[in-house]
Amino acid sequence: MINIDTYAYSNRLKTVHPTEKFLFAMITLVVCLTSPALITPLSVLALMAAGIIIKAGIPGRFFVKLMLVPLSFLLLSVLTIAFSVSTSPAGFWLAQNIAGLTVGIRLPDLVTAVHLLIKSLGAVSCLYFLALTTPMTEIISVLSRMRTPVIITELMALIYRFIFVFMEMATTIRRAQSSRLGYVSTKSSFRSMSGLFSALFGKVFLKSRELFDTMEARGYTGEIKVLAKKYPVNLKNYLVLTALEIPLILLNLLGR
Amino acid sequence: MSEVILEAVDIKFSYPDGTNALRKVNLEVKKGEKLAILGSNGAGKSTLFLHFNGIYRPDAGSIKYRGQDISYGKRALIELRKKVGIVFQDPDSQLFSASVWQDISFGPLNLGLGEEVVVDRVKQAMSDTETTDLQDKPTHLLSYGQKKRVSIAGVLAMEPEVIIFDEPTAWLDPRHGREFMELLEKLSQEGKTIIISTHDVDLAYSWSDRIAVMYSGELIASGEPGEVFLQPDIISRADLLLPWLLEMHRELVQKGWLPPSGPLPKTREDLFGSIAAKRERRLSVL
Ligand SMILES: Nc1ncnc2c1ncn2[C@@H]1O[C@H](COP(=O)(O)OP(=O)(O)OP(=O)(O)O)[C@@H](O)[C@H]1O
Ligand SMILES: [Mg+2]
Repeated sequence: MINIDTYAYSNRLKTVHPTEKFLFAMITLVVCLTSPALITPLSVLALMAAGIIIKAGIPGRFFVKLMLVPLSFLLLSVLTIAFSVSTSPAGFWLAQNIAGLTVGIRLPDLVTAVHLLIKSLGAVSCLYFLALTTPMTEIISVLSRMRTPVIITELMALIYRFIFVFMEMATTIRRAQSSRLGYVSTKSSFRSMSGLFSALFGKVFLKSRELFDTMEARGYTGEIKVLAKKYPVNLKNYLVLTALEIPLILLNLLGR
Repeated sequence: MSEVILEAVDIKFSYPDGTNALRKVNLEVKKGEKLAILGSNGAGKSTLFLHFNGIYRPDAGSIKYRGQDISYGKRALIELRKKVGIVFQDPDSQLFSASVWQDISFGPLNLGLGEEVVVDRVKQAMSDTETTDLQDKPTHLLSYGQKKRVSIAGVLAMEPEVIIFDEPTAWLDPRHGREFMELLEKLSQEGKTIIISTHDVDLAYSWSDRIAVMYSGELIASGEPGEVFLQPDIISRADLLLPWLLEMHRELVQKGWLPPSGPLPKTREDLFGSIAAKRERRLSVL
């Protein structure tokens, strides 16, 4: 997750207008989720892989690793769809009889399962594209330009920032503890861990207070106003976006 | 120069947990001056600063801005904070945004300025603090000194009249420390009033017009740098050291290389210059 964040700031598409990337990811996501046939999610997957690896310059191995994260979880849920248990062996494509019960796969279920799997992977790849090419702060700017309620965007921004502040604190404390042999045995590990949590908990309160003070010192009056960075709007990108989306949408319509 | 811009009058303050952070502090800050506040850890420097733009409210006593008690109403506080800016000690509690650019733009936008003006100010502040190259980096990937510079830029962009820096050079490398001092000089020449807290006696001695020494919630001395450092009881009570320039000067006077009545050296050039002059005189005697 931290690596994703690092790539978001250092990929080759970082200078592209965030709205363009956001629209590309979101439209493709919707197209992928509404597709009736396998061909659309497969094309989406290929498209996003090309975008991430070739265009954004993110190592292919890293992308594959990322795709494997949801895969294990997806496989589990998809298996429960593919397999069914019945008292009669009728209609099974592959079956095994266990103590009078038939456990196996029915062909239509298998098709649904595979379809769901590919579709989900396609959808996940769209989100990865956005996450890997666009810094969180830019995504938040796009959301607020799209009139997302202020409370949501402000919370997202603060949470995002403070994930890192607290993570750094936690790593520092943990390092300091283990350099004083805080994690040599199970017992000391538990003690150190509880120490870490209570220290962190105290600091969360202190930090949030301090943050409020410092923001007030700079004239905060209840709304976080910041200037979004200006990116050049690129007409060519919109044309490419349209050129890519139209065939996908057509594919969807024809498949129906 | 002599007009008092900020003033603390008999300030007392204790934290909710009962810590008596300020016992009785009286301090005048004159317009356009360079004031350094010295004092050991926990002396109350940061706490005092937070009073100067109305973040904390004293239990007793008052803060005056341009001769008037500051009022703690919402409008009045906003006006005060436009005039008095603080760069906090810990940049991690000041940087609220993950984006350098967005964080620096926060203050000036709160002043109600137009977008173009804000863009100009952000750019100027970034070039003054050499953070232009950092603008596309997220704040969590910056080093501590870099974060410190970004947090300084965030306050500079508001262009306050009085700028308070809480230990500004503590985390900076020598080059950025020196450049920061040059920036302070520039700001001072523009007529800003500058207050810093520091543990660096050499820096305080050479840079400031006036020094105030805090000890355990009290202000125990204030005056011109030479004056303050020549009071040995104050220096030892506040756990301070003598600036090396003064120590060297004292040694040279004791050993007879310099006349005891000469002016105190303010910079290393002053001191080295005076030594060279002595040697020439010796040569001419020979
Ligand atoms: N939030 C707080 N709650 C309770 N006590 C506090 C709090 N902040 C500071 N103190 C206490 O108030 C006293 C003054 O602290 P302050 O931070 O003003 O010192 P300082 O002079 O800035 O020190 P340093 O040089 O270490 O920054 C200290 O004894 C400190 O422990
Ligand atoms: Mg302090």
